[in-house]
Amino acid sequence: MIAAATRRTIALSSVAAIVAGAILLATYHSATAGPDDGAQLAALCASCHRLDGRDQGIPTIIGRDEQDLVRTMRAYKSGEREGHIMRAVGLSLSDAEIATVAHYLATQTHKTTRP
Amino acid sequence: MKRWTRRAFGGLVAASLLTALRPARDQGKPRVVVIGGGVGGATAAKYLATSGHNLDVTLVEPKRRYATCFFSNLYLAGLRSFESLTHGYEALAQRHGVNVIHDSATMIDPAAKTVALTGGGKLSYDRLIVAPGIAFKFGAIEGYDEAAATVMPHAWNAGPQTILLRRQLESMEDGGVFVIVAPPNPFRCPPGPYERASLVAYYFKQYKPRAKILILDAKDSFFEQDLFEDAWRRHYPGMIEWLPAQFTGGVTAVDATTRSTVTSGETFKAAVANVIPPQMAGHLAQQAGLADHSGWCPVDPATFESTRQPGIHVVGDAIIAGQMPKSAFVANSQAKLCAFAIVAALTGGKPPVAHLFNTCFTLLAADDAVSDAIVFKPAGDTIKISDIFLSKIGESAETRRQAMREANGWYDAFTHDMLG
Repeated sequence: MIAAATRRTIALSSVAAIVAGAILLATYHSATAGPDDGAQLAALCASCHRLDGRDQGIPTIIGRDEQDLVRTMRAYKSGEREGHIMRAVGLSLSDAEIATVAHYLATQTHKTTRP
Repeated sequence: MKRWTRRAFGGLVAASLLTALRPARDQGKPRVVVIGGGVGGATAAKYLATSGHNLDVTLVEPKRRYATCFFSNLYLAGLRSFESLTHGYEALAQRHGVNVIHDSATMIDPAAKTVALTGGGKLSYDRLIVAPGIAFKFGAIEGYDEAAATVMPHAWNAGPQTILLRRQLESMEDGGVFVIVAPPNPFRCPPGPYERASLVAYYFKQYKPRAKILILDAKDSFFEQDLFEDAWRRHYPGMIEWLPAQFTGGVTAVDATTRSTVTSGETFKAAVANVIPPQMAGHLAQQAGLADHSGWCPVDPATFESTRQPGIHVVGDAIIAGQMPKSAFVANSQAKLCAFAIVAALTGGKPPVAHLFNTCFTLLAADDAVSDAIVFKPAGDTIKISDIFLSKIGESAETRRQAMREANGWYDAFTHDMLG
């Protein structure tokens, strides 16, 4: 009896943990990033990249595929991709910050860009 | 149902008249006043106004057009027009809703939280940002005062001084000596005097190939010295000579009538002389008690709030920022963090995570540029370097050409970031 009850508790806890994990994943951006975080991190990018889509020698980074941006930033961070300015930027950002800023930039268009 | 009495009606008329007389600002919004429309001030004003938090942002700047110090050495070399360095404040006002007032701040009253203007107006604030830039220590070099600067320009604020220096270089005879007096640390734009030597040499090489450039330094070394000396050997052999303070004792006096610079052992007569004097925080910072005995402004490294005057923030070249250099990029980076910290303080939001950067593109010839990338972190009561990357000697010509293309792209994006 005792053993069965314990098993059920463990099973329930596992379900709870899985559900919690799913909720965490689903709300990743809103749970870990405040409403201003994406814009504030993108402000770092705006010192060199125009956030209105114009490209005068430094490539535009808005409206691109989010996962591609994450992969690119991580490659700069690890040194796998060359470029000492982007290496420095990559090293200064946590993986969560890279995800947040990539999500923000990917959703920007000419009209929605704030700065 | 409310019945309108004559008195209530009269009050309403008076209220609307008052509103009409005042600039149309919403009295309920938190008010932030920014003094100084250089890189730090303009960036802060823009990011406050675009924060999405409905702030009342006022920028006080006497000039209607802003000329960038960065890239002004390209103008001295004949590689850019002065017009291309000049930008207006229209977008800040029209696109972002910043109340731009072209006037000078004469007095800050920290107790009353007001700023008095030359034109007689007075602005109230909840938070104040002062971005006063630099002032020159005239008199630190004997004989170098504002009158002497009209003969031996410093050209360290972009504007009439820069145009004067360009005219002098243009009218200089081939074979003349161009003397640059480089200042002691700390000063605005650490690679600047040496970039200037490089780009003026680029101009001389084409038009006055017998001319010489002599740098009389107040220091014994300078930022990215190996990169500069390598470029000078490759591009301008025999044209540029750098004399450190340990050889000359530094420049102690100048004579504007003969364009001479005097060191402890020798007097150097120049055809054109560019005297960049020792510097301190801009005059308003001195007058408002924001600067300490060093002449620069101590601040909290996470919010840039003055440690001497609570409620007043200082950004840009005027501050003591640990290992951060006095550069346009740094001013822009500080201004953003300062703006986010002010938004958090005024709206009860969470304090921003500090991300502080510097990138300087340094131009060695028309198709040869280098860059640095530095990450900084607040550490206790100061700011320290956490990562630093520099261009290296021996990079391919294509790498350097690519850096020049990036430099031009950066200029466009950066000026858009502060004023666009």
